[in-house]
Amino acid sequence: MSAVPAPRLTARRFRAGDAALQLVAGAAALAACVVVALIVWKVVDGSLPSIHAYGIRFVWRVAWNPVLGHELYGAGSFLFGTAVTSLVALLTAAPLAIGVALFLTELAPRFLRGAVTALVETLAAIPSVVIGLWGILVLGPVLRDDVEPALHTALGFIPLFGPASASGSSVFTAIVVLTIMILPIVSSISRELFLGVPRELREGALALGTTRWEMVRGVVLPYARGGIAAALILGLGRAIGEAIAVSQVIGGVVGIHWSLFSGGDTLGSKIAESYQGGTTKLQVASLIYLGLVLLVFSLSMNLAAQWIVRRVARRQGVGTNRGGLA
Amino acid sequence: MPKLGTVTRTTLAAAIAALATATAATAHTTDTTITGAGSTFVAPLLAQWIDPLGSAYGYSLQYSAIGSGGGVAAITNRTVDFGASDAPLTADQFAACKGCVQIPWALSATAVIYNLSGAKNLLHMNGATLAKIFSGQITKWNDPAIRKLNKGVSLPDQTIATVHRSDNSGTTYNFTDYLSSASADWKSKYGRGVAVNWPNGTGQRGSSGVAAGVSQTPGGIGYVDVAYALSNHLKYFAMQNKAGKYATPGLKGILGAAAAQVKPDPKTNELSIVNPATKYKLAYPVSTYTYVIVPTSSPKAAALRKFLFWAVTRGQSYGPKLLFQPIPKPVLVVAEKTIAKIK
Repeated sequence: MSAVPAPRLTARRFRAGDAALQLVAGAAALAACVVVALIVWKVVDGSLPSIHAYGIRFVWRVAWNPVLGHELYGAGSFLFGTAVTSLVALLTAAPLAIGVALFLTELAPRFLRGAVTALVETLAAIPSVVIGLWGILVLGPVLRDDVEPALHTALGFIPLFGPASASGSSVFTAIVVLTIMILPIVSSISRELFLGVPRELREGALALGTTRWEMVRGVVLPYARGGIAAALILGLGRAIGEAIAVSQVIGGVVGIHWSLFSGGDTLGSKIAESYQGGTTKLQVASLIYLGLVLLVFSLSMNLAAQWIVRRVARRQGVGTNRGGLA
Repeated sequence: MPKLGTVTRTTLAAAIAALATATAATAHTTDTTITGAGSTFVAPLLAQWIDPLGSAYGYSLQYSAIGSGGGVAAITNRTVDFGASDAPLTADQFAACKGCVQIPWALSATAVIYNLSGAKNLLHMNGATLAKIFSGQITKWNDPAIRKLNKGVSLPDQTIATVHRSDNSGTTYNFTDYLSSASADWKSKYGRGVAVNWPNGTGQRGSSGVAAGVSQTPGGIGYVDVAYALSNHLKYFAMQNKAGKYATPGLKGILGAAAAQVKPDPKTNELSIVNPATKYKLAYPVSTYTYVIVPTSSPKAAALRKFLFWAVTRGQSYGPKLLFQPIPKPVLVVAEKTIAKIK
């Protein structure tokens, strides 16, 4: 939203304060833009050797061979891994997170609310490296021994659910870890939004004889829709950019495999794994090129998500732009 | 209250005196703090050096075990006084590091670890078979090639799951250097490096990641430095050398391998002792030198020279209990010559 000029009424009295505010806020906004511009410039500059060597074909080529004399790099398998892990994690986290938020605002007995809210928010504070360790030591083996074989037996005819991974490190493990990481973000924002639904609207709906579920579906969710979408976009951004936890559980495999239970890799995770001690200039430049691909990918995902939100909002015409997205 | 006043004044004076001494002490030690970063492989050995170095020269040694790759980057940017790497520098890295030399300063081996329930330690393995396992041509524990090496051992019909390092690692360099030497097929398809284009298996970060990966994967095979394998009670293979003997990654095997090349490359000081020739009957074939990387011109040149001389001579005696074999005499001579170049 563009800047709104200060109301004329108070302008005379607080002119110095207004000027200072304008200056500080403007400088902060400008600084943010400058930092983004500098990052983009540095990333493009750093990846130039690789851009010269491979051009745009780098983006979809599925290859990563750092051995001297055989060097060949491409972002294809990492781009695929980033898209699959972040989107599937978002799809799983969204209903869970909204469910958690609804429970906390509409259903939970009062004495439970504070405790559960605090616990969910603690989940957001766990460092990703710790979640990654837990992923290797606890989650991975459980998924491998119990969940993956069960899914394979039940749904094995779908190529997504191939044979269980041998080591517990797989795209599936990464998806579960990412789901856990974005769940608290989406749920705590949604909870705030649900709390913001005016009392009169709820009471009105209940007075009309709706059940609790009808009230949630007819009043709470439409009212908060725009804000939930914004929360989901935040969660998606987190999932796309997460590097450390993913690199610990995804298995670091180059190539495109349809089964979720095989290993893979993402853009962020590959950069985190390989940047230190890159052995040749071309390899380092290619890793920075991966960063450029990641930047463009997350930007376009963000824009696409915002566009979808606006279209939905326009069509529905209710509760648009809560949460200050656009 | 004059009495209290005196006490306060005395305390204050004492405090000031203490502070002055402390400042003097810090001023003294900041001159001779030697900082380094790199290989996790040599970190336990460097930890042993801290105390004796302190009492011999008053030097304080600070080492961050951030991995060989990180060590090379750190010394290239001169954020430390020395870097440590298990893989020799590449031509690009030498160029980027501007006037760096690498000095072989420790000698040890990589253990090939496995997780097979009910199996004993020190199953037999050779390089050609290992290359086929890591390239996905051998997928079962009861494959005829493995059975042939382990006569009389019953091996299950279990899938082999390989685990490798996903970060850039000197241990990976040593391991793939060995596979390239033992298998022409591996050499032409995948080659050697601190990271390679692994055809299958899963990648894990760090020795701890690989160890965790292998110990949680029934049928898993991976590789870590030998001290790590021993201290974590992992099972590892006895590797067949060119002479046909099965060697364990102990001091005897490492010394046997070191005999294969005692003259470092005159330009780079590189030494490759993997899979040595038939006449080295005791050699453990996955042995390696690890290097310290220093700039030839350093603001702490005098201290660095003293420290490194100490490291390649007296420092070596702290190695054996951590399975570092003291470096042989001819290598020591070259190391000392290179150290003298630091100005």
